[in-house]
Amino acid sequence: MQREAAIREPLILGHKTYKDITDDVVGPIMGPAPMGWKIMITISSIIALYGVGCILYLLGTGIGTWGLNKTVDWAWDITNFVWWVGIGHAGTLISAVLLLFRQKWRMAINRSAEAMTIFAVIMAAVFPGIHMGRIWVSYWVLPLPNQFGSLWVNFNSPLLWDVFAISTYFSVSLVFWYIGLIPDFATIRDRMTKPLPKKIYSILSFGWSGRAKHWTRFEEVSLVLAGIATPLVFSVHSIVSMDFATSVIPGWHTTIFPPYFVSGAVFSGFAMVQTLLLIMRKGMKLENYIHVKHVEYMNIVIIVTGSIVGVAYLTELFISWYSGVEYESYAFINRFSGPYSWAYWMMMTCNVISPQLFWIKKIRRSLVATFALSIVVNIGMWFERYVIIVTSLHRDYLPSSWGEFHATTIDIGIFIGTLGIFLTLFLAFARFFPVLALNELKTILKSSGESYKNEQAQ
Amino acid sequence: MLQVPLLIPKTQNPTDSKDMANTKRYWTGLDDLHQTEAFQTLQSQEFPQHEAVDEMLGNEDLTSATTGRRDFLKFMGFSLAAATLAACETPVVKSIPYVNKPEGLTPGVANHYASTYYNGHDYMNVLVKTREGRPIFIKSNTATGVGRANVRVNASVMGLYDGARLQGPHLSGAGSTWEALDAEVAKGFAGAGRKVVLTNTVLSPSLQRSIDVFCEARGAEHLQVDAVSHSALRNAAKQHTGVDGIPAFDFAAAKAVVTVGADFLGTWGDAVYYAPEWAKSRRPENGEMSKLHAFETTMSLTGSNADTRTMVKPSEHGKVLAALHGIITGTGNASGLGEGVATAVQAAAADLKKAGSAGLVVAGSNDLDAQLVAAAINTALGADGTTVKYTGERLFAGDDAAFAQLVTDMNAGRVSALVMHGTNPAYHAADMEAFRTGLGKVKFSVSTSGLADESASRCTAMAPDHHWLENWMDLRIGGTRVDLAQPTIQPLFDTRAAGESFMAWAGQPTAWYDVIRTTHNAGYTGDAMYNDAAWNGSLHDGFYMTGEDMPASAPALATDASAAVRRLNAAKGGAMELALYQKQAIGSGDQAGNPMLQETPDPISKITWDNYVTMARVDMEAMGLNTYIAQRDKASVVKVTVNGQSVELPAFMQPGQTPGTVGIALGYGRGDGGENIGRAAFATGENGEHLLTADGKPMPIGANVFGFATVNGGVPRYDAYDVTVEATGAEYALAATQIHNTVMDRDSVVKETTFGSYLAEASKPKGQASWNRNHTLTVHEDVNGDGVIDASDGKKTSAFDLWHSHPVEGVGHRWGMTIDLTTCTGCSACVTACHIENNVPVVGKDEVRRHRDMHWMRIDRYYASDWSQARGEEEGVGVIASYTKMEDPSANPQTVHMPMMCQHCNHAPCETVCPVAATTHSNEGLNQMTYNRCIGTRYCANNCPYKVRRFNWFNYQGYAKFQHMNPSQDSLTRLVLNPDVTVRARGVIEKCSMCVQRIQDGKLEAKKNGAPVVDGAIKTACAEACPTNAITFGDLNDNASQVKTNSKNNRSYHALEEVGIQPNIFYMTKVRNTESNEA
Repeated sequence: MQREAAIREPLILGHKTYKDITDDVVGPIMGPAPMGWKIMITISSIIALYGVGCILYLLGTGIGTWGLNKTVDWAWDITNFVWWVGIGHAGTLISAVLLLFRQKWRMAINRSAEAMTIFAVIMAAVFPGIHMGRIWVSYWVLPLPNQFGSLWVNFNSPLLWDVFAISTYFSVSLVFWYIGLIPDFATIRDRMTKPLPKKIYSILSFGWSGRAKHWTRFEEVSLVLAGIATPLVFSVHSIVSMDFATSVIPGWHTTIFPPYFVSGAVFSGFAMVQTLLLIMRKGMKLENYIHVKHVEYMNIVIIVTGSIVGVAYLTELFISWYSGVEYESYAFINRFSGPYSWAYWMMMTCNVISPQLFWIKKIRRSLVATFALSIVVNIGMWFERYVIIVTSLHRDYLPSSWGEFHATTIDIGIFIGTLGIFLTLFLAFARFFPVLALNELKTILKSSGESYKNEQAQ
Repeated sequence: MLQVPLLIPKTQNPTDSKDMANTKRYWTGLDDLHQTEAFQTLQSQEFPQHEAVDEMLGNEDLTSATTGRRDFLKFMGFSLAAATLAACETPVVKSIPYVNKPEGLTPGVANHYASTYYNGHDYMNVLVKTREGRPIFIKSNTATGVGRANVRVNASVMGLYDGARLQGPHLSGAGSTWEALDAEVAKGFAGAGRKVVLTNTVLSPSLQRSIDVFCEARGAEHLQVDAVSHSALRNAAKQHTGVDGIPAFDFAAAKAVVTVGADFLGTWGDAVYYAPEWAKSRRPENGEMSKLHAFETTMSLTGSNADTRTMVKPSEHGKVLAALHGIITGTGNASGLGEGVATAVQAAAADLKKAGSAGLVVAGSNDLDAQLVAAAINTALGADGTTVKYTGERLFAGDDAAFAQLVTDMNAGRVSALVMHGTNPAYHAADMEAFRTGLGKVKFSVSTSGLADESASRCTAMAPDHHWLENWMDLRIGGTRVDLAQPTIQPLFDTRAAGESFMAWAGQPTAWYDVIRTTHNAGYTGDAMYNDAAWNGSLHDGFYMTGEDMPASAPALATDASAAVRRLNAAKGGAMELALYQKQAIGSGDQAGNPMLQETPDPISKITWDNYVTMARVDMEAMGLNTYIAQRDKASVVKVTVNGQSVELPAFMQPGQTPGTVGIALGYGRGDGGENIGRAAFATGENGEHLLTADGKPMPIGANVFGFATVNGGVPRYDAYDVTVEATGAEYALAATQIHNTVMDRDSVVKETTFGSYLAEASKPKGQASWNRNHTLTVHEDVNGDGVIDASDGKKTSAFDLWHSHPVEGVGHRWGMTIDLTTCTGCSACVTACHIENNVPVVGKDEVRRHRDMHWMRIDRYYASDWSQARGEEEGVGVIASYTKMEDPSANPQTVHMPMMCQHCNHAPCETVCPVAATTHSNEGLNQMTYNRCIGTRYCANNCPYKVRRFNWFNYQGYAKFQHMNPSQDSLTRLVLNPDVTVRARGVIEKCSMCVQRIQDGKLEAKKNGAPVVDGAIKTACAEACPTNAITFGDLNDNASQVKTNSKNNRSYHALEEVGIQPNIFYMTKVRNTESNEA
């Protein structure tokens, strides 16, 4: 039981009862698939299949099917990787950090945000795999015992740290997500009448019976996992940023990268959550659970992280001038005035200027504006990685090696394809999984509505 | 791949044995023991006959067999699993060892044979490296003490394995036999009419003798013609001194050299000999440096190395010479020239005068007057006998007038029979069409060309000569040295030495070897190959010295050049003029089908695989043409018209191109009739396919512009004074390995100074002189504790180290290299040598255009810019705008060539970032790449400040895109690969290994001898190939080594020193002699 100010808006609108919540969440799973869902998943699977086709062509023919060259050895591949990893940050932040801070509003959004995290990390993991020249020996990055004597991985390499960081993050996020799902699966199991789905949900729910003991353990495990996951939110993108920060390339070799990357990741993660949730609440009629208040809170997070990112951009520029290193200084001059300045200004507009619009309350609370800006932010964050990677590489130390990068259809196809795979997975999640943490939501139902209390009094 | 029949030992049939009980029986298997029918049948055959596949498939029993569902599933499952597993492994191609070891040949150990390369233009004593009987590498034979192989000689080994080579004699386009061909030749030469043997300049006494024998027997005459004529040089020498032969120029002795359009470091004259000699006079440590003034139209290799370079139009070349002559003889002045040119001529004349007899003027024009005036200037300087010697060098004996007469006669039907050897006039004749129609009117024609080239394919018969690596030859260029060429491999095809053909056609069939032996041993009767010590010694050395000198009369110096000067001054230029030139790698085009040469970037433009029109920026901007070439920025196509003929070629903005002129390279447009001259000779599209012309033939690369030469009395002069250039509006993609031209004010990349400044601080210790300051960053830390952070704190960033240091100083070997930028001419000999030594993949134009060339060794070429940040500050132009302005090179820039390869950093950024430790540091200072550990993340390539790491983007050995250019995609050309170096798989990084295979070989050799490695015993391919000895390789831990001495020289520095990566490669500051000699 929790005391709260009478004027505070309730988190769940529409005078819901426990049964209503269960009906709202489990109903779509039990009922037939709506037409809209069928159309969307068809489109997204076709895009996904196209992406898979591009990946197979890449693996069959060689990395040369991308536009990379002797000067720019990473471009869309690692841009996409970092972008997807960044998106994958919001879910865990929402579920773990906000759990520790006891932010109850997170309950309406954490389930789908976590699902998004899992799928985004899967998409992210695709790129370090397929960008390797010889993916068939990719397991060599694991410190496995082998028959080659003392042959071991190179612990100095940030790429190896990436392997550990991403895999840890993925497994912890997955377990955290799944633990949360168990009681909800049990609810579906109990409601399900068709034998096969009932069987499946019964397996998925691990024999949950809703006993007090189970609930105690559930709470404990959630708390422990939140404790583990919280540092991971900060470590993963810090380590990803070290791929660049520990190098000698001007524009990469920057100590500001870890905090800058983490805030950028949260920034883009929240933007992606907005994009997905705004569609989902409409499609699945969840307006009473995810309403303007949630959107506004998330927009505030976007303002804060967006501003941090903006400050970081300006700091980088300042330091490049202040350091007096001609290569560093040129790298940044080249960013905003060179051949790829369009990408830089795209990044600046989308990431620094557009989130500042959320200072205006009307925009912050407008669902349409939020949806549009969330997409703008995601485009901007993609360009941020593109700018860091491509513009730093294409003109580094020796002018003789300065070059250009031009994306090929395979570069684009694979990126679009991962969007398709991601959407397909998310749509499948929306159809078969409880999209809201319904059992958790019930804990805020009772205490959060003044009208509810009044109803009880009657 | 080699197919080896499976040998089954033939055993005695035990049933035949008379005394079975007492004989111990051994059996090879149960079939043997039971003597089954199948076994006996098999054993009765010496070689087992495998059942034919079609027979087996036709076998009813097999097809009628039933397979159960379960079996089917098992097979399917197994096949699927097996195929999946098999697909996971990189295929391994095994070589098969010798069963019987040939004498003198140890598998894995290379043999070197001395030989001589001559193709009608380039002449060089070489050593041919063979492995398991295959010639795989060519390098200079330095025993003669003169000349160094250039890029074209290095790469010529590829021609041996060209799949397009003729595999036997041909009659009327169809394969034939030598007997039939000889009979046809006898018939063809029996009739009346003019009968001619047309060759390039013959330097072989034996070949000359066999041609003479043939001419006498068949009533024929011998004519010589050169692909690129130098007849004016030779004729001027003859007029000037009476000696028939081109002058021998001594560039080593020259203190002031003036070249007027002669690219003597690259393609003009006997360049393989001039370049190393010139470099000898360019060592600032000697306290004296020669000075080079260049007057030229298009930026040439020589112009890019000149101390002062002046842009002149082709029509002004003669006037520059006339003015020089006037000033030096005191009979004239430079008043007829433009202001800038006149000043430059006066400066050049002043230097020449000061140098006196150590002055030297060379002229590139094939105009008799120009050459006469140049010779007169040298005489006036007193240089005859010092820098110019009229010794009657026999190169370039082509008689253009006689050739022109021959073409006329051919067209008039007066020529009944023609033999061509070593020449391809249907390609390089100035009036190519006339030669082609004339050739059609010759009743019988035969070519000895090894390829069915433009001329040979139009002949009645083709009698292919051996490749020079398969052939015996004796050659004599001049002096008392006779050079020998010996076969290094059995002839691959049914070819016959041209000399032997001539003897056979003369009705005196003699083995070619005997002809040669008779030339040099008058008493030679039989094969004394193994007991004639003198001959064997000569073969071992590749040459021998005769007592008799070439007949050379004493120079009779009498000519009055005033008439020639008058004629030169009368030349009338046009608004737009054309200069034809030869590119370093392609030369006159005889090796057009050589993929290594096509992919070697032009040292100046850095463009590969293409021909283009070089233009000045002002002209291009006036015409609205694209001046920037990159992956998606295509060149504008222009139409160049000369005398009613025109070609359409892309225009390329060439800094240093004289405004009002265009330049086009000769040597392109080979195979315009789709002749089979090699797969790499034709243009390829985006998927590596051959582009086709409108009539379905493969499209040649570029265009043939031999026809643009101005012909005067049969003599072609390789320029034209009246040309029109029009924009066509079309665009064309050019592929350059370097698209950025200037060094952007980065003073720790290339360092350069002038000779005067060098001398002023020549004694300062390393790192102190103003032209080579230590370039490291200091830390913002109050080291001396005075409360102020300033320069006196002086703690360098190099004092910090995140990683463990490799103990390299003084421990074992530490391989390193020094590269002297002063003597590096950018000639690219090192580039091809490296690529052939290390099996560097050839990737074709489209990949180069995508910046994916695989070059381990490249030469960065930087032009000076008019702009700098300092000038920007002075003129109040902002930093950003200044950077943009700096991207443009000057209109006539100074040029630096900087060889760049893996710097083998002791603190290598690539090593720390590899997740699987595929690139590591050896305890001998080498940065090593372990290909089979590499997973291809390319992180190392990104983190390399020098961008020298190369990634295998495709399977170059198998992917269809590379079928027309990659040597490993052809079962014959593949034989050129060096077996000591892995051919890299798809998806791995590769880079310069400092020829680790050679280091290993040298160390083993030293170990066998029980002595330390001697300095100079191990040489990397690039160091060995460098004609000017700019590259020195050795052990930096050996205090007596040359490389150690060079590294301590005060000119040496590390490129990008402040990054703190501590390379093992040192560069030596470039010194230009821009002041006067006494500075």
